[in-house]
Amino acid sequence: MKPKHQRFVLAGLALLAIFGASALALSALRDEAAFFYAPADIVGHLPDPNRSVRLGGMVKQGSVERQGDGVTIRFVVTDGKASVPVRFTGVTPDLFREGSGVVAEGHFRADGGFTADTLLAKHDERYMPPQMAGKMHKTESLKP
Amino acid sequence: MNPWPFVVGAYAIMGIGMAGIAGVSWRAMRRAERAVEALRRR
Amino acid sequence: MAPAYHNYGAWGEPARLWLESRASIDYPGCAVPILHALANPARFLKLARPLTPLCFWCGVVLALIGCWAGLTRTPPDYLQGDTVRILYIHVPAAWLGMAGWGGLAVASFAYLVWRHPLAAIAARAMAVPGALFAALCLVTGSIWGRPTWGTWWQWDGRLTSMLLLFFVYIAYIALARADADRGGDGRIPAVFGIAGTVLLPVIRYSVVWWHTLHQGQSIGLTGSTIAPSMLWPLWFTLSGFTLFFAAIVLMRMRAALGLQKAEARMRRMAAA
Repeated sequence: MKPKHQRFVLAGLALLAIFGASALALSALRDEAAFFYAPADIVGHLPDPNRSVRLGGMVKQGSVERQGDGVTIRFVVTDGKASVPVRFTGVTPDLFREGSGVVAEGHFRADGGFTADTLLAKHDERYMPPQMAGKMHKTESLKP
Repeated sequence: MNPWPFVVGAYAIMGIGMAGIAGVSWRAMRRAERAVEALRRR
Repeated sequence: MAPAYHNYGAWGEPARLWLESRASIDYPGCAVPILHALANPARFLKLARPLTPLCFWCGVVLALIGCWAGLTRTPPDYLQGDTVRILYIHVPAAWLGMAGWGGLAVASFAYLVWRHPLAAIAARAMAVPGALFAALCLVTGSIWGRPTWGTWWQWDGRLTSMLLLFFVYIAYIALARADADRGGDGRIPAVFGIAGTVLLPVIRYSVVWWHTLHQGQSIGLTGSTIAPSMLWPLWFTLSGFTLFFAAIVLMRMRAALGLQKAEARMRRMAAA
């Protein structure tokens, strides 16, 4: 074998080894690297109420209700398999909508509900003009 | 929230970054090629 | 006579002499004649000289058309409104940040296998523009995130892995510089360049493997979830920025070749 070919094979093997090692490391990281819990992830084993965690999913259609004080809202986060009721006091992001994605930072309560300190709107991968969106699915703004 | 300051800001930063690297790379190239030319003439 | 060219492991005097000797050498027993013809610096320069302004101006014109259309000719998004216009620069920046590392890795691999000095020069020329576009991707994404998500930065899988790629670029630049200063042959940065490729699939699939704040892939091989009336300027900016990137790489390669040639000539004149 010419040295050129030897180097080719060696470099290729090294590359494969690096990729294999990283694949192993990444699969071990799988649960740790999640940015948030989906409601189905925590059915039956709620995270410790004292721990600050994130909960993500869709805001269930028709679930948002504003409390009497005007700044507290309640809504349900769902991923289609399970759902969690959430309570939040504060200013919601502009893109917070029913039927749209949301990530809530806060902690679980003993009763299985979630108290959020911060809300982040999660955008999905669809981009379209308003006329088209109106035809495809209805989105309702929380704001009057 | 008015989105335009964000949009304009993002485009401005992009433009500055690209103009910057174009200027730096162009000057480096010119300087190196001029040096070769000058040495060749000597 | 065996082509001595194959023994140029060292990034030293023999390589310099070879660069000096320029055209009109043919390498007997070359397996890939076209690649080797391109790899000849004189022929490379002959091609690169007209190609540099061509790539640059075509890239600038296409990018400007894309930006103008993206800012004025497309409808706002049904949820994000006008903030969506940042997409037309954010996506090309992300593409070039990642494609830049892909090119750097391919050149590094070619250098390690064929030991060709021009491949090492190409790899080094891609590092700085690649790092710049990775940074621009992070900054434009952050500016988009504030009105959309309601936050400038979160440590989610996509954002963190892209930031990591930026740091890997910085490490490569530092490593390549240190190697050149020490008079190394460029093998260590080349190995690093290949190893860094691991990050590319991680960035690409981070939104699939993990729950992330960043949305999923919009444009795949099978189509796109962006409405056609909003998508078309993206093709202009993508192609325009890519040509711009190519022009920058050509400029930096020409600068490196010129510097090397000038050094070799000075050395010869000092010896004479």
